[in-house]
Amino acid sequence: MKMSKILSLVLAALMLVACFASCTTPDAGNEDTTAGSDASAELAGTYDITMWVSEKEGVATLTQKQIEAFMAANPGIVINAKIEGVTEADAGSLVVADVATAPDIYCFAQDQLARLVQAAALAAPGKNAAENIKNANDAGSVAAGSVAGTLYAYPMTSDNGYYMYYNTSIISEEDAESMEKLIAACEANNLKFRYALENAWYTASFFFATGCHSNWSMDTEGNFTSVDDTFNSAEGLAAMKGMQKLAQSSCYDSNADIFTDAGVIITGIWNAEAAEEHFGANFGATDLPSFEVDGKSYHLGSYTGNKLMGVKPQTDAKKAAVLSLLAQYLTGEECQLERYEQFQWGPSNKAAQASEAVQANPSLAALAKQGEFGVPQGQIHGSWWDIAKVLGADAKAATSDADLQTALDEYKTTIDGLFQMTDEQKNAWGVIGNICDTNWDTDFPMTEEPAGTYTSDVLELKAGQEFKVRQGASWEVNFGVEFNGANIVVEKDGKYKVQLVWDGAQGGTVTLIEVTE
Amino acid sequence: MKKTNDTTIHKTGLGARASRRLSNTVIYIILILITCIWLFPFFGIVLESFRVETTQQVPYLFPKEFGLDNYIRLFKETDFLKWFGNTAVMGIATAVLQTVFILSMSYVLSRLRFKGRKGLMNFMLILGMFPGFLTLILIYKVFSELGLTNEMAPVGLIIVYCASSGMGYYVSKGFFDTIPKSLDEAARVDGATRWQVFYKVIMPLSKPIIIYTVLMGFMAPWGDFMMANYIAHQTSDGMNVAVGMFEWLSRTNLNTHYTMFCAAGVIVAIPVVTVFLFLQKYYVEGVTGGAVKG
Repeated sequence: MKMSKILSLVLAALMLVACFASCTTPDAGNEDTTAGSDASAELAGTYDITMWVSEKEGVATLTQKQIEAFMAANPGIVINAKIEGVTEADAGSLVVADVATAPDIYCFAQDQLARLVQAAALAAPGKNAAENIKNANDAGSVAAGSVAGTLYAYPMTSDNGYYMYYNTSIISEEDAESMEKLIAACEANNLKFRYALENAWYTASFFFATGCHSNWSMDTEGNFTSVDDTFNSAEGLAAMKGMQKLAQSSCYDSNADIFTDAGVIITGIWNAEAAEEHFGANFGATDLPSFEVDGKSYHLGSYTGNKLMGVKPQTDAKKAAVLSLLAQYLTGEECQLERYEQFQWGPSNKAAQASEAVQANPSLAALAKQGEFGVPQGQIHGSWWDIAKVLGADAKAATSDADLQTALDEYKTTIDGLFQMTDEQKNAWGVIGNICDTNWDTDFPMTEEPAGTYTSDVLELKAGQEFKVRQGASWEVNFGVEFNGANIVVEKDGKYKVQLVWDGAQGGTVTLIEVTE
Repeated sequence: MKKTNDTTIHKTGLGARASRRLSNTVIYIILILITCIWLFPFFGIVLESFRVETTQQVPYLFPKEFGLDNYIRLFKETDFLKWFGNTAVMGIATAVLQTVFILSMSYVLSRLRFKGRKGLMNFMLILGMFPGFLTLILIYKVFSELGLTNEMAPVGLIIVYCASSGMGYYVSKGFFDTIPKSLDEAARVDGATRWQVFYKVIMPLSKPIIIYTVLMGFMAPWGDFMMANYIAHQTSDGMNVAVGMFEWLSRTNLNTHYTMFCAAGVIVAIPVVTVFLFLQKYYVEGVTGGAVKG
């Protein structure tokens, strides 16, 4: 008790000092307008912050060093950081569990973004900062950090994907392109083909190979509204057959976290060092192979994803500004390169990606090669991971094509069950398109006034962007230039309201009403 | 001499002594086999902890190179010592407090007769049927307000472990029931208070059960994960060994920390095994002693 009293007194004193510092400095050095020194003069003070970074050994130490570099670059700002290692895979769930005691800055894998936004656990960067981040980082990572067009988190890596490591003494570079040959080589040498098919993140790669997709839509508050999923189709069945080939082989092992006896292993950058150690002189890294079903060859797809840094909303505006600055620094080019050098984490920063060292890394090269077949992870409903992972086990257990089809049917039923919409939601209309920084994944609501006329809020549209209006966040009833017709193309930049006049069936017209102030 | 002896046995068939020896041999072989199987994982962990050629999991048992690297790394580069200290403090505090609570509770329920005694016992029996983690979130919220989470988690956890420990009175009450009541009465006639009876008469007779209770209290924090994980809330300074070490099994750490994990496992086993070895004979007596009369 005593200790905390003393601490709070000290903190109060520090805050006073900080106030004086910020009062006196503005008139001193105003001519200099570079963001760094100006901001640091305004924000001078001491800040106690808590941070969660990856639990990987050395990350916390490096982060501490980077924070010291940040302080050196921004004289006046003193940061006492308390850094804990927490796995990025579920940092999000831990934050959501108790936002009040959550750390000020935390790193997480992108799949947790939606939940964090819903829980109001992320402070979006300011307008200029967001603009800078969008320009500096690759498009995939910016999309990964955004919900309905608003950037909520700071992209940190673009390497959360998977590819293949293999033993070059039993597999030639040419054979590494065929899954059947890889299986044969592993079986012949009594080695394992390690591929975590019972994890939806990996299961999906067979479905992407045959051209299936699973795209989820969200409203602006981060709630999922609908899904466009084609796993249950003829292509999906081909994917299941391909998966069955591997899963029923004697060399298949679903544990891809360990390397024991591995001839082939499908894993990611986090195992780069372990892979080099395991394969030694026979180390090979490349993109995923192709598999053959019914005489057709399909190249395995994959998810590409990002890790993000998030800042918790603060009551103290100055601290919030400092945290935002710090997060920008920590996810900037320099820090991303440092993380690459120490941990081989692939940068999301475009300048860092272009550096020679990054270009020459065999694991990142394999990841980049696989990137051609990659599907950006986007925002996916949290339950999907548990629903889809069953398909891997089903493929292994199946004895006939009918079994495979049953598995897909069950999958589809469960997915559809996620969206038990109320009548109100089913009847609601929305505008969807590649508008307002979204990419056909967000419905902008429309209100009915008077009956039969639906109007959206004011939207900032740019020339060339396309959109449609649809009902109940599904494509069953939608209007483009006509019922279920082509997309409407915006002709010139401006602020518009989208209006639909609908007769309740297939008759309706969509018009753009320009709003002038 | 020996040869002739042997031949005579063979001639006359198996004598009683020989057949007993044979059956003993068979039994011992079976027991040794079972022991080997049972001890194998422990043996494996000890060997793994000394393996230095790689930190990954390997398909063979005996290390190719022996060394202390894992232990050195464990103490130099990680927070292990902190976690170990936390757990030891929790273990000792829980052992003391819990023993006091349980023994008092058992003595009262065994010796005193008061209104609602039966009802209280039944109530605690039913309450004890709910698993402790049902209250996890509530406990976390309350502790979080009181400042007993994160760095202060060990204090919070001691409270968690001890708070409801009185409900675990069954075994020791059973034991106290076997001590004749006439002893109490004799002491009371001589003018002893209830406390004196408990302290001077009952306690010296119940060494086994006291040691059993102490042991159970000491062991609890070493294996707790769920509660400890939640209350520590990802703060390294407040973790116990189980929670801290679990981090090394994550996707990113497994292949670099596996042998170190084994080394930590060996270190954690030391206090528990030592305490057990010293108090073993009392432990067995304690468990069975209380079971005579429930």
